[in-house]
Amino acid sequence: MALTGDLKTFNFVDILQIISKDKKSGILLVEWKDITVAYYVKDGQIIFARPVDRVFRVYAERDFDLLIEKLRISKENLFRTIERFLIERLDLKEGVFSFTPGFVKFGSNNYRILYPVEKIIMMASRGLTYEEVERKISDELLVFEPLEGVNDVLEKAELTPEEKKVLNLVDGERTVYDIRKDSGLDNLKVDRALYGLLAVGAIKRKKKEKKQSPSIALDLLMKIIERIKGL
Amino acid sequence: MKIIKKIKIVIAGPFAAGKTQFINTVSEIKTVKTERRTQALEEKSVKDYTTVAMDFGKIRIDEEHELYLFGTPGQSRFDFMWEILGEGALGIIILVDSTDPSTFHEARKIINFFQSRFPVPMVVGANKQDLPNAWSAEDVATALDIAEDEGIAVLPVSAVDKESVKRALLTLLNIIREELTSQG
Repeated sequence: MALTGDLKTFNFVDILQIISKDKKSGILLVEWKDITVAYYVKDGQIIFARPVDRVFRVYAERDFDLLIEKLRISKENLFRTIERFLIERLDLKEGVFSFTPGFVKFGSNNYRILYPVEKIIMMASRGLTYEEVERKISDELLVFEPLEGVNDVLEKAELTPEEKKVLNLVDGERTVYDIRKDSGLDNLKVDRALYGLLAVGAIKRKKKEKKQSPSIALDLLMKIIERIKGL
Repeated sequence: MKIIKKIKIVIAGPFAAGKTQFINTVSEIKTVKTERRTQALEEKSVKDYTTVAMDFGKIRIDEEHELYLFGTPGQSRFDFMWEILGEGALGIIILVDSTDPSTFHEARKIINFFQSRFPVPMVVGANKQDLPNAWSAEDVATALDIAEDEGIAVLPVSAVDKESVKRALLTLLNIIREELTSQG
């Protein structure tokens, strides 16, 4: 099933978060204003990008190793296509995307990945606008907590000193307001860092501990359940 | 005359998520609607009428009890109604249009709103699964940043399908049952 959307309302950080979460493989097509680019995704990593004039060609050429051989691109140089057709475009906000899982048959595992998805997510988060960060960091009373065992993720993400500072302040107690204040950084920088860290899976929203007890008797609840079943 | 006790479940979610349809599908009465013509251009392109106060549907449980399904208006400019409708709710179902990722961030804000004010059991329905371009419930959960330990089930839903709506309601009710039994 294809995942489709518009970059205006679902930015690159969001898209890559979805792709990397379950280590998806397939093709991400982005119709930018000037060109259409096919991004080849293997196990959640973008390994190759190429502009396409006719989209059907992408789906016709399924053997990845054969494709890059035909295009005369060595496995060592695949990252250059990422630089040219993705990294340079991360700040562009106009385009529509569709991700189709499967389709491509990847041959070997030795594709050189110079831009791990975690690194691209953090790079993309650095260009988010106020309006974009507000979609997730919508309330200065939100509390985040760090996740355990994500050293590998953080290493790949190559955080800036400012992002590290923000991460160190995420402790499950401080609110977004506190982090902004204690870091001494510009609010937008803090929010961008939180947005990116959330997307790479380094932090998460703190679960609300306080729960309201259900105000209903068990026998009445069972009656409702049986009634719904019988509808 | 016997007084009928009302039990309330709130159906919330962004604009055009399918809340009214969800209620219609299982309600025993014709859903009471408070609709007005959409005004904003971007809303008009999605549907002609929208809920401005609430929708409600009803399911009779026994001679003394009725289950009310209250649908909230989707636009955040009506969030004062969310506050009113959330009061005393047994549980909350948040519906999301799985075919429209532009509404996912709004859905998360709605989840945050209800979580902070009414920390009652909640499930998320990744609605419109009957449409070809619907995102899977798993992808919707990731897009909404719902962590596995957050305790919010995200289910595939098709609000036009009675069995699917029943499944969403039963999931919520079973979570409530678990909470009740775990309290002893």
